Amino acid sequence: MIRSHIVTGLVKNETGTLNRLTSLFRRRGFSLASLNAGDCEKPGHSRLTLVVNADDDTLSQCLRQLEKLLDVVQVQDLQPESAFRTELAIVKLSPSPEESQQAVLAAQAASPRPVQTFGALIVATLVDQPESLERSIASLSEFGLVEVVRTGLVALAAEQTVG
Amino acid sequence: MQSLADHGVDLVFGYPGGAILPLYDEMVRHPNVRHVLVRHEQCAAHMADGYARVTGKVGVCIATSGPGATNLVTGIANAAMDGIPMLAITGQVARKGIGKDAFQETDIQGVTLPITKHNYLVPSVDCLPEILEEAFDVAGRGRKGPVLVDIPKDVLQAASQAKTAKPKPQDAQKPDPEQIRIAWRMIQNAKRPVAIAGAGVLHAGASNLLKQLAERCDIPVASSLLGLGAIGSSHPLCLGMMGMHGRAAPTLAVQKADLVLGIGIRFDDRLTGETAGFAPKAQIIHFDIDPCEVGKTVSPDAFVLGDLGQTLTALLELAQPRQRPEWRQQIEAWQAEFPVVVPKESGLVMRHVLHRLDQKLNGQAIVATDVGQHQMWAAQMLRFDHPRSWISSGGLGTMGFGFPAAMGAKFAQPHTEVWAIVGDGGFQMTLQELQTAQENSLDVKICLLNNGYLGMVRQWQELFYENRLSHVLLGNPDYQKLAEAYAVGFARCTEQDQIDETIEAARSHKGPFLCEFQVQMEENLFPMVPPGSHNSDLVMDPALPQAVAK
Repeated sequence: MIRSHIVTGLVKNETGTLNRLTSLFRRRGFSLASLNAGDCEKPGHSRLTLVVNADDDTLSQCLRQLEKLLDVVQVQDLQPESAFRTELAIVKLSPSPEESQQAVLAAQAASPRPVQTFGALIVATLVDQPESLERSIASLSEFGLVEVVRTGLVALAAEQTVG
Repeated sequence: MQSLADHGVDLVFGYPGGAILPLYDEMVRHPNVRHVLVRHEQCAAHMADGYARVTGKVGVCIATSGPGATNLVTGIANAAMDGIPMLAITGQVARKGIGKDAFQETDIQGVTLPITKHNYLVPSVDCLPEILEEAFDVAGRGRKGPVLVDIPKDVLQAASQAKTAKPKPQDAQKPDPEQIRIAWRMIQNAKRPVAIAGAGVLHAGASNLLKQLAERCDIPVASSLLGLGAIGSSHPLCLGMMGMHGRAAPTLAVQKADLVLGIGIRFDDRLTGETAGFAPKAQIIHFDIDPCEVGKTVSPDAFVLGDLGQTLTALLELAQPRQRPEWRQQIEAWQAEFPVVVPKESGLVMRHVLHRLDQKLNGQAIVATDVGQHQMWAAQMLRFDHPRSWISSGGLGTMGFGFPAAMGAKFAQPHTEVWAIVGDGGFQMTLQELQTAQENSLDVKICLLNNGYLGMVRQWQELFYENRLSHVLLGNPDYQKLAEAYAVGFARCTEQDQIDETIEAARSHKGPFLCEFQVQMEENLFPMVPPGSHNSDLVMDPALPQAVAK
């Protein structure tokens, strides 16, 4: 059964590391729903969060192929219940003048950060688990959704891990 | 160059050009590393490949930037598919020119990303020794494969203060004792076991251990295309190559077996047929060094990961002598019923030539083949009593591979008889290396099976495209004149009764020798598992009386 898996990885920061990784997904036909990479606690390394759509056998192939890449230090399949998961979205709204105040209130309720306005535009930054984020975006979209940008999931294992 | 010498490299294959010039200049000061000048970079890679297959060492090829580097690509991809340890060194434009579309600039690191185990663009000369050390290590570790090191010209020119790194010994991967015990219980309980030996056995140097295990437990051994020679062809338990165009007996044996031991194979589609129908009655144990191979195409019931030498040693420690006479008799009956047919009729066909060549070589020579019908017949008919004496492009099926690969083998093993068996299609792709063979007085023999067709493609068009022949008829040069032009020995054979004298003319000649066998244009290869079919749907040679009744 194909489902969404969260994979966390520690990689060395070498030229082309991300290129090697995404090239592997492309050529072996693995499905990469989102990829997030950035500096981490270990100098010269990045921690990645990948969301992979696959059945269990394909995921296991995918993890072994990733482990084979020289720049990959560690990869791990995270279970949603034992992971800290979050995602950030910036939502741009253009409500009608009548709804403007209601839109600001709704945005403030959904957003942990101050809501900014630029003339008639309202910009809210949402940080939440992906499912809640989806719901917030859906409820805000009735106020004239203009643009959304999402970071994709970032996740960490709840338990102590090596690497 | 010093780094190469420190890693035991005594022979490299290459072609100079602008960006790699500083390395070629340095070669003059390192006569201990022999350089073979090829006539096309693809052949440098194929020669390094042939060298690696017979020696087990890392084969080294060198090219300049841009077109030099891209010409290596087919040879690198070939080595990647067959797990051949190779180091490709390419020159790159100077660092300030990278990304500026400088003359002869190609992003060869990007190009070879999917076909190398790893590749490097060397950022500074001080990193070079460490990168080369890692490159040798990666090429020869686990499932072996090609590594490319791209070196900008100004990095090559800079004088390095860094010490050259010495090679470090590689620890073999130890198998898990519990996995060994599970495998062993399955072997003990099996009534009809078959082992399928692959190139992994040869890479691990585990042929002798495989033979001991097969003998002690009375397990017949089939092989993949590249596993030929893993167990000596003359051994009574050796069944030969199985699969799409393999011998019938090993293919049938695997279909009827209750246990299949896949040893150093990757269960590729030419071996398994449609996987849903592969070994339907059998439990499968997969022994391999590469975790990525487990369950990739066929789901095994058990697997043992690790070095095959250690794995087979551990199994031998548990193994108790066992005989399975009924199973052996069944397989022998299939062997008798479905032999490889050598036609009795007059006229010259490939099988006549290969049958006689096999009789002459008697399992003692190194043979490299190209790709196509001749390759499959050679795999069916030739005997190999020694490991690492069969060289063929398995995974990639690279036409043009046979002749340069044979040359690489001959450079590596100058005292062993080496033959290239090629068709007229593949030979025309790389025959310019006749010049390289001639100027090195390389004693390599070429068995050119000239049928004027792309034989395998023609056969598929006949069988699967209602005989609509499309672009398979090949014109050929006058090979006698070609041989004269290149100053290599030549003999032409057009009749069955000339085969032996043609082969002997080649064997008694010093230096390269081209035997042209003008064979009948149409000859079909059997057995055959039609593409997409199960191995049980094996089509036998129609010349066999039992073929229809199967």
